[in-house]
Amino acid sequence: MAPTDKRTRMSWEFALTHVWAGGSKEAAGAGISDPAMENEVFAGFYERSARPLWAYLARSSADPALADDLMQESYVRFLCAEGAPVLARDGEAAARRYLFRVATNLLRDHWRRPRTASIEEIPEEFFAASGHAAQTESQILLAPALKQMKPRERQMLWLAHAEGYSHREIAQVMGLSAASIRLLLFRARRKIAALLRACAADDGRKS
Amino acid sequence: MNLTFCPYEKEVRQLMARGQWPDACPPELRTHVSSCRTCGDLVLISEAFQHARVESLAAARPVAPAVLLWRAQLRKRNAAMERIARPLLGAQIFACAVALFAALGFAGFEARSGVAWLTWSYWHDWFVQLPQAAAAQWASLSSASLAGSTWTWMVLVPALATLVLLGGAVVYVATDKQ
Repeated sequence: MAPTDKRTRMSWEFALTHVWAGGSKEAAGAGISDPAMENEVFAGFYERSARPLWAYLARSSADPALADDLMQESYVRFLCAEGAPVLARDGEAAARRYLFRVATNLLRDHWRRPRTASIEEIPEEFFAASGHAAQTESQILLAPALKQMKPRERQMLWLAHAEGYSHREIAQVMGLSAASIRLLLFRARRKIAALLRACAADDGRKS
Repeated sequence: MNLTFCPYEKEVRQLMARGQWPDACPPELRTHVSSCRTCGDLVLISEAFQHARVESLAAARPVAPAVLLWRAQLRKRNAAMERIARPLLGAQIFACAVALFAALGFAGFEARSGVAWLTWSYWHDWFVQLPQAAAAQWASLSSASLAGSTWTWMVLVPALATLVLLGGAVVYVATDKQ
């Protein structure tokens, strides 16, 4: 192998061609051929999707540190997956849905894993939240209400009301049927509305 | 729980998605929302989640995309290495099995002559006589015709082939690790 060829093969731009194309020739053919452009495309996609994904993970898990970890892992899995959507071929909406699905599965795996949390593992924000002066309106009302919801309800509500996803899109992300989502979301909405009103009433009484 | 959907729900949702609620909303719809539980819930929840989303977006500190690309590349490389190493592991297991069978065969063969082979003096004599025995064997092998010593070749050729294969595998693994 020629030295130049070897250098090209060892660079991450070269690897990205295969990573981004999902490792298949078909995907590579349908995608973008220029590695530098691929980097730009990914950087653009990341710029637009990273913060919403982090917000989804942070609010669903109520743990910003965990959200950091899971967000990075979601992107790495997205880049490594064989069947992941290719931006140039499938579009950004499909890629974003896939990313949210990966993140949802990672969250589910995290919750299923039996573990005990030490005091060092609890995020600082958890303790900071006890001071009302630093809290914003949504933190005061939404955070306690979300805490009383089931993880799956939190995820559904966030996708529907923060991300504006339709029932069909939420079903794709969560791996459930659209009919189930319709019913579960309806129940979750009733529940959180009651909790938000109760929180608002409590807050009004305290002040 | 009964699923009760309001016919105005879609309209309210669209207005909220476009950021037109409540300023650009018709007064009659606003009146409806204040009296309808479904639409009231929708507005309450959507506003709370939208505020939370804006705050969370500002709080996010994503790492540089190059870091993720590098990690993905590393993981793909490791996966590829694992795929390559899998047949080598099979070869190693095969080599161990062959060696084990050879050792057991040898032990069984030697056991026929009693337990003398377990003594030190037996092995001392064996090593002393080994060069002479090997030379004699080689001489008989080279002088004998192929047809006359078929059994010798049947043992020697697979043994040499195994050695070559295993040697190649060992060299490959050693250079690969480096």
